Amino acid sequence: MINLDEFVSFIEDNFDLVSGVPCSYFKEFLSYIPSQEDKSPIKHLSATREDEAIAIAIGAALSKKRALVYMQNSGLGNIGDALTSLVQLYKLPILILVSYRGLKEDNDFPEHSIMGKINNSFLGSLNLLYWDLNEKDWEVSMQKAITVMDEQSSPVVLMVKKGVLSQ
Amino acid sequence: MKGYEVISSLQDHIGENDLIVSSNGNISREVYHYLAKPQVYLRGSMGLPIGVGLGLAVMNPEKRVTVITGDGNLLMGFGSVITAAYYKPHNLKILILDNSQYFTTGGQQTVSSAINFSKFLESLNIDYFQSLKASQSILDDNLENFLTTQGLNILHLIIEEGKRELANIPWHPIKIAENFLQRFD
Ligand SMILES: Cc1ncc(C[n+]2csc(CCOP(=O)(O)OP(=O)(O)O)c2C)c(N)n1
Repeated sequence: MINLDEFVSFIEDNFDLVSGVPCSYFKEFLSYIPSQEDKSPIKHLSATREDEAIAIAIGAALSKKRALVYMQNSGLGNIGDALTSLVQLYKLPILILVSYRGLKEDNDFPEHSIMGKINNSFLGSLNLLYWDLNEKDWEVSMQKAITVMDEQSSPVVLMVKKGVLSQ
Repeated sequence: MKGYEVISSLQDHIGENDLIVSSNGNISREVYHYLAKPQVYLRGSMGLPIGVGLGLAVMNPEKRVTVITGDGNLLMGFGSVITAAYYKPHNLKILILDNSQYFTTGGQQTVSSAINFSKFLESLNIDYFQSLKASQSILDDNLENFLTTQGLNILHLIIEEGKRELANIPWHPIKIAENFLQRFD
């Protein structure tokens, strides 16, 4: 698992706003993200839907602030229009952490099996740039994501497998 | 009173410190034509104007953010009213223009009339709310309070269907974003 103290302080140094809908793969990570009430340098807003989280992040991006969204890959099914008719259409940068459900270790969770299989082709058909967030080189992945989103003014997705941001 | 008449009445209240987010379809077009530019004219992302306004509001506490949304957009992203009411940004104002129609796509009926807006808005414990039938005197009596009361404010106005023929928004969304971003240089 990534050292969450380091990971969250990296986020606090590089982002202004965080929003999303939880996944158990983010359980420990999210316990490190301060809630809105705390005196934290970043704002954290819990969203009712993944497309709402994208919208909140875009509100930040439209005022030159950096925003991070987290969601389960089931939430990818909820954000097609937010991506194509907002984020990509207006060409705005946001970073999206997506938990990769539906792999082998999710055998007992049939609700994730179909999205798990099509995860990459789904991201591909949306022309999204994506790569994995890994324990070893997480800082390189995050730094690269920030560079790409800033330079191309586009969304970037980082896939998060089991055990990376929570046990 | 029609939606574009309400929107054009906002002219006198909107200044440099105001950021506006308008919902897709007819409303964005009217906001583009009647109010100071540039603002965030949503062309798609139906259901998301309140989310965008919420993000803008929490990131820019020194500005006033007004979301102008149709009832169809409101219903599609209804959870966002609850999210906004939970976080209660002091600078977020939500104007709901309710013609109980998807007017832009041909006037098909929405289900908005199932909501008792006065009761619903009251239940949110927000700083200002009203549910009224739009008219000039109602606007004269309420717009200023709606916009200047400190807090999360929601004004629900019943409007008549109808529009002026207006040209399409000439800016591509990339230009909309670029122009709006320049306000933060
Ligand atoms: C996801 C999605 N579904 C459907 C549409 C088609 N559409 C465009 S505008 C609109 C109606 C919006 O209704 P409302 O917010 O009440 O505004 P009004 O048209 O009445 O001014 C619809 C259904 C769309 N743009 N996006």
